Amino acid sequence: METPKSAVTGNSMDQFHDQRDLRSRLSDIAQIPIWIGQLALRYNIHEDLQFAMDLCLEEALSNIIIYGYLREEGRPLTVRFAAPRDGCFVFEVEDEAPLFNPLEAPELPPLDPDHEIRIGGQGIRLLRRFAHKLAYEPTTKGNLLRIEFLQNGEVSS
Amino acid sequence: MAMVTEELPGGITKVILDGRLDIEGAAAVDLPMNVIAGSRKAVLVDLQNVSFLGSMGLRALVAPARAIKGRGGRIVLFGPNESVEKVLKSSGIDTLIPIHHELQSALAALA
Repeated sequence: METPKSAVTGNSMDQFHDQRDLRSRLSDIAQIPIWIGQLALRYNIHEDLQFAMDLCLEEALSNIIIYGYLREEGRPLTVRFAAPRDGCFVFEVEDEAPLFNPLEAPELPPLDPDHEIRIGGQGIRLLRRFAHKLAYEPTTKGNLLRIEFLQNGEVSS
Repeated sequence: MAMVTEELPGGITKVILDGRLDIEGAAAVDLPMNVIAGSRKAVLVDLQNVSFLGSMGLRALVAPARAIKGRGGRIVLFGPNESVEKVLKSSGIDTLIPIHHELQSALAALA
């Protein structure tokens, strides 16, 4: 476990308890659900919320690797975890990719069974649906995305 | 991600998926799903043992579904858990591929 560090994100200062440093390979994402499982045991996170965390991190990380880093391997990608208060869990995803704010990106409409030929483009939609709160800020090197989950909060459907 | 197929009476192909339909899982089933999509006209995709579904996994379901429907066939999803179903509905895929929780109704939809 890393030495806890603080970061100011959104409107709060979080004490980060743990982090994973990835190297921008899609295969690296496989370690995230294992990590979330460990966090779930430690913090008694229920199954639905584990699923939401798993989903949001897969979508955020794969978007950065595919569209931010254009699949270039070896680029830095850090995920930090904090539990700033009871039942509240925060992940921060930091990269050095070109600036991209997923909160401002247009959300693609749901698939249209009659006319739609598009298949992809659902990642940001899922991120917004399954996270309780998202915050973004550009950094000197890239992007910082803060994804917040509440143990007893409602996720939009 | 494991994938098994069973041929059922009435020309229905049952595709049983087991595991995580994440980036790696989607890559594993992409080719075999497309082979099925190119040759079958009534397909039931059993999601009872799928524990995770992300956008890459959605793609692995939607592309074959379009191919099957484009050839005049039918495809249904069977038995997703609550979280997986929420992903399906969030992306509107339930409007393209009907979701069933009873096997008999799933089979009837393919008849």
